[in-house]
Amino acid sequence: MALDRRDFLKYSALAVAATTGMPGFLARAATQAGGTKTLVVIQLTGGNDGLNTLVPYSNGAYYAARPNIAVPRKDVLTLTPDLGMHPALKPLTGLWDAGHLAWLENVGYPNPNRSHFASMAIWHTADPSQARAEGWIGRIAEKIGDPFCASNLGGTTPQALRAESFSLPSIDGVDRFQVRLPAGLSDAFETMLSLPRQGEAAYLGRATRQMLANTGKMQKNVSRYRAGAKYPEGRFAERLHDAARLIASGTGQRVLYVSLGGFDTHAGQRAEQDALLGELASGLAAFQADLEAQGLAERVIVMGFSEFGRRVAENASAGTDHGQGGVMFALGRGVRGGVHGDSPDLENLEGGDVRYRQDFRGVYAGALTRWLGLNARDILGGDFAGPQWVA
Amino acid sequence: MPLTPHTRPLTAADAAHLLRRTAFGGTQAQTRALTGRDAREVARERLAFTDAAAPGNPFDPTDAATPGAGVQLTRAAWLFELLYGPHPLRERLALAWSNHFVIGTDKVRNVPMLASYLALLRRHAATGDFTRFALEVAQSPAMLRYLDNAQNRRGKPNENFSRELLELFTTGIGHYTEDDVREGARALTGWTYEGGRGNKNYLEETRFVFRPAQHDAGRKTYLGHGGNLTGEDVVRLAATHPQTATFVARKLHRAFVRDTPDERAVAASAETWRRTNGNVRAVLEELLGSEVFYAPENRSAVIRSPVEFIVGAVRALGQPKLEPKQILNLAQTAGKMGQLLLQPDTVKGWDGGREWINDSTLLTRMQVAAALTLGPQAPQLAEPPSLLALLGSERPPLTAALDGLGPKQRTYLALISPEFQLA
Repeated sequence: MALDRRDFLKYSALAVAATTGMPGFLARAATQAGGTKTLVVIQLTGGNDGLNTLVPYSNGAYYAARPNIAVPRKDVLTLTPDLGMHPALKPLTGLWDAGHLAWLENVGYPNPNRSHFASMAIWHTADPSQARAEGWIGRIAEKIGDPFCASNLGGTTPQALRAESFSLPSIDGVDRFQVRLPAGLSDAFETMLSLPRQGEAAYLGRATRQMLANTGKMQKNVSRYRAGAKYPEGRFAERLHDAARLIASGTGQRVLYVSLGGFDTHAGQRAEQDALLGELASGLAAFQADLEAQGLAERVIVMGFSEFGRRVAENASAGTDHGQGGVMFALGRGVRGGVHGDSPDLENLEGGDVRYRQDFRGVYAGALTRWLGLNARDILGGDFAGPQWVA
Repeated sequence: MPLTPHTRPLTAADAAHLLRRTAFGGTQAQTRALTGRDAREVARERLAFTDAAAPGNPFDPTDAATPGAGVQLTRAAWLFELLYGPHPLRERLALAWSNHFVIGTDKVRNVPMLASYLALLRRHAATGDFTRFALEVAQSPAMLRYLDNAQNRRGKPNENFSRELLELFTTGIGHYTEDDVREGARALTGWTYEGGRGNKNYLEETRFVFRPAQHDAGRKTYLGHGGNLTGEDVVRLAATHPQTATFVARKLHRAFVRDTPDERAVAASAETWRRTNGNVRAVLEELLGSEVFYAPENRSAVIRSPVEFIVGAVRALGQPKLEPKQILNLAQTAGKMGQLLLQPDTVKGWDGGREWINDSTLLTRMQVAAALTLGPQAPQLAEPPSLLALLGSERPPLTAALDGLGPKQRTYLALISPEFQLA
């Protein structure tokens, strides 16, 4: 007789909670986590302009649509006869030359939504119908059965890391991630936590238990790391540095999640996006150098996305409004470098936007199947073909 | 059908519940004072606030030496008002509106702009006229700057404000088309502001201006209405759309009743909203005096936000005096817990509920509780707070766990309990 997954979680939670006070999904973790490869997901929040990231510099329509904000041909870092990177991405040229940087062109989903929040929720849940509440990484954690197998580095947990019965951890600074209970209070604290509770109070009690387990596990390991690269200033790089520390110290996360915000460039786009892309590239280059120095570069790949690209034509404020298809990127030794997909067709737009040609779920499927060794169908709820971007 | 009124006299637990939702909590004495009273009458009283401010606010943003300091002082001044002000419900509502008509200090760094935005939220906290509120927000320099309408000109409109007006401020998704967004942006062209531009002018006053030369006066169609619509027309059409009543009423239910509101109750509030042409005060008065507000399943059903947690703790302790530096720190700490005042992560605002809770924020809540009770800078209390003040009940199940602890340790443990995290 087969228990379905929900029942299993429920029963094991009850059984284990009765003996150790630990929710069931934690107890299962030790036996099932496994795996030695890590996927680092980078979220560019606000709708990164793909056309000014991977620039179609041979295309006159691009320059015609953007008299003020186009990247001049002379500034483009040439990758192919048609496409080149924004100059602020210079720190990534070494990775490109080594074949460890991939660009995925015209990525999106059916019936594009121009709301930041609806669109972001679609990327987070991998569900364009917006029917699901839990995230695609949350489903990975449920599949593996370990709520510590994926973590966000930052203050608040994105929807991508929400599971049916719990939220995955957010680690806002590895050094601050520890419990220091005042002396003499342990017993009373334990008694307080052990009271039977219902509703939101039960949720909070469970979250506190989970936090105690997570912090304990991490602090035990994290001292093993020695820095292998110098990171630039700023919160994004700090979080990548924390990601490297977690990977190097073997805390066991299969997915780590880092966000960089500010891409909603409705006005004065060049100044804003240029600075952000510089921050992105210098942070990622340091992260990759660190992994190389640690001897971990074979075990980690990075995959980056944004909720949508922006309109092809600039607006009157030297910015761009919300668009549709965008670019994704991936890097690491496990990545097949190059441009995957065709250059955007600027003669055939949809409502002024680049049409998408690759479903993002196909890109996710590559990471799930070929990198994490999971059954993508279970997590995405269907079969999605995508480019062969994982080597 | 309007919401059913709660007709029994308030018990001590009822009064504690009301104070947790409308005043960030209260002391034993404040709770007792409401016990035995009529729910509707108390709701009306609590909504009858003036523009009085907390005496002795040590923070004056116009003292700031830099734009960044101006923002920090604005934040601290607001936290002081939340902690010590005479009208906590007005501040609770201003907080809720700042999470509805969102602006952010990443872009809005002019001190008078922030001050007039906050004054606007307070003035309309329990507004009798939502349409007017929406119009004043739309013309506030803070919003014009934050959502780029200040740069929305004829010919090449900037759609940012037009989109969020529908998606986040009025009807919500599903009740408008992309054409409405585009046409709305055209109607809103020419709305901008004067003064306060640039880093050096962070103390300069700003004011709304309409520039006819930059306005697209042509014909538009918006939410099914055609004509040579102006910006005022568009804001009014969006604010009076029937779905706006439901969309905003749902937010009020999330703030005051439960994280996952009952849709029939929301529909009842929306009906009151439509019947009174967007009289939020009437909607709130009915809500705060209703059966649904006092229903057992809606007690302890709202997870306190970081700011509510901090203000709730200080108010439950009897509002002890904190040093200005501690208040500045607490405003920053609320940010570390995910709620930096006047700076939600995105224009959607904070989702709230379980979103507030993760390992890092739980850790920080424990640190704040320790700082307010056990730490070397912890305020000295005349008497320890009662369990009614801390946990909303005279005999909470927690009592046994607290036995044998000293008063400071008891308070600390109560503040880090799941029960205190809820309102």
